[in-house]
Amino acid sequence: MKTMIAARIPVYVFVTILSLVSLIPFYMMIIMGTYVSEDLYTGLKLLPGNYLVQNFKTIMEQNFLRFYGNSLFVSVLSTAGAVLVSALTGFAFAKYDFKGKKGLYYFILGTLMIPAQLGLIGFVAEMRTLGLANTLYPLILGGLANAFGVFWMTQYIQSSVPIEIIESGRLDGCGDFGIFLRIVLPVIRPAMVTLSLLFFLWSWNNYLTPLVLINKEKLYTIPLAISTLGSEYRTDYSARILALAIATIPVLVMFGFGSKHLIRGLVGGSVKG
Amino acid sequence: MAGKKAVPYLLITPYFLLYFAFGLFPILFSLVLSFTDWNGVLPKTFVGLKNYIRIFTNDPLFYKSILNTLMIIVVTIPAEIILGLMLAVFLKDFFSRFRNVFQLINFFPYITTPVAIGIIFQILFDWKTGTVNLLLAKLGIHAVNWLGTSTPARIVVMIIVGWVGYGYRMVLFLAGLSTIPEELYESARIDGAKWIHSFWYITLPMLRPIMLFVVITSIINGFKLFDEPQLLFQTASQPIGGPDHAAMTVVVRYYEAAFVNFQFGYGSAIAYSLFIIIAVFSFTTLKMMNREREV
Repeated sequence: MKTMIAARIPVYVFVTILSLVSLIPFYMMIIMGTYVSEDLYTGLKLLPGNYLVQNFKTIMEQNFLRFYGNSLFVSVLSTAGAVLVSALTGFAFAKYDFKGKKGLYYFILGTLMIPAQLGLIGFVAEMRTLGLANTLYPLILGGLANAFGVFWMTQYIQSSVPIEIIESGRLDGCGDFGIFLRIVLPVIRPAMVTLSLLFFLWSWNNYLTPLVLINKEKLYTIPLAISTLGSEYRTDYSARILALAIATIPVLVMFGFGSKHLIRGLVGGSVKG
Repeated sequence: MAGKKAVPYLLITPYFLLYFAFGLFPILFSLVLSFTDWNGVLPKTFVGLKNYIRIFTNDPLFYKSILNTLMIIVVTIPAEIILGLMLAVFLKDFFSRFRNVFQLINFFPYITTPVAIGIIFQILFDWKTGTVNLLLAKLGIHAVNWLGTSTPARIVVMIIVGWVGYGYRMVLFLAGLSTIPEELYESARIDGAKWIHSFWYITLPMLRPIMLFVVITSIINGFKLFDEPQLLFQTASQPIGGPDHAAMTVVVRYYEAAFVNFQFGYGSAIAYSLFIIIAVFSFTTLKMMNREREV
């Protein structure tokens, strides 16, 4: 029994060190937000300072609430839309037989290999032509058809929604859409939570797309606002860091609650592929 | 009956409409643009293959950006996979109680906004006052100008990319591990197999599909690297791509051409060249990993 524990020590050390490495920059971000910018360059800060309220005021003066609003608007709508579209499409591929199904599915899988940047210039030009440049809509529209989401939902529905409960729903007189709403959606909740977490995260942190599409200050999303405004005005690092910490916390809380779902949702999906 | 047949097509229609309008169309339009000279305002002029010829014969920065990207990928992907895999296996086998907590902590870097990561690492690696140099000084090592000289700058980008990525790999591997039937380990234990044997002869082979998925997506994502190098050197007031372009990735070069210099045609041609390179690398890796299996 003793040797068992001794053999485990390197494992515990490894996991602890790696966790600290993960945590330290994150911890620093929170701590740095409580100092005056000038103090950030005078050595490592381990304890919180007393400038939190002041930094918070600076953030509010710079209209950051609006940027949070912009980010929230884009991320919530694009996540909800993309998850719904993925689930509908995945349901069709997993539980129906139709002409051209295989070809269409492989087509979607093939598009997974295409880097998103490939069409970015064309997308910018398209949005300008449609008169959508300098609105928030392109940031939502661009993310609605997500091949990764379809792939995942198809795999998940295939493995976790038995054909029997669909048939029994049909016997009870449910239409196809009723079956989707009342039978399929409740069963695939873990996968929907996982996808929502990931889509929300990707949209919330997205930097390149708003960077090339948005140049009106009042439409900035958080990443764009903090990276652009900070370098234009006074380089108030600690206020910017506090703003980023505040921006990270909602995602953190979501992942904290969804952490168990994350793995469960992943299991039924891509992994079996 | 005819109505019934239409149902699956109705279900997939939103996806394909949205994909054609906002995915495929821009991609094809970019392909057309890649054969033109266009700054976004003046009329386009058709130039044939001129952009591609310039990329491959007269753009040293493009080659440099490919080389930089490859260096970053070659270092970070194996590191992320090894760390992520070890963490996942250890958490599953030795941390039944606090597994969720450690899982979340190690996923933090992946959650954090790249903008924040750029600022934090810029402060950590500051030449004069950064924490890293202060610690090195205590060990008697001379201060390194991390963000101002080429090789250290590249190393910092590698550290960031690895730090951000291993937690995501851990989550994917944890998901993969939970699909391995527990009976396999049970019977191995009855046969007297040690932990390391179970890991080598059960865990690794059973993780093969997820390993393939992780490697391929890591390569694709590796070539798409943009946020970290761009934001790190932006906050450190360095030129685009870092000192001496040491951390200029292909997508940073693409961004510079298309959205800083407004060469939309040339930028599109870079995007397509990158796409071809990614396709070649993914295909080669797939082939190699499948051949390994047959041997």
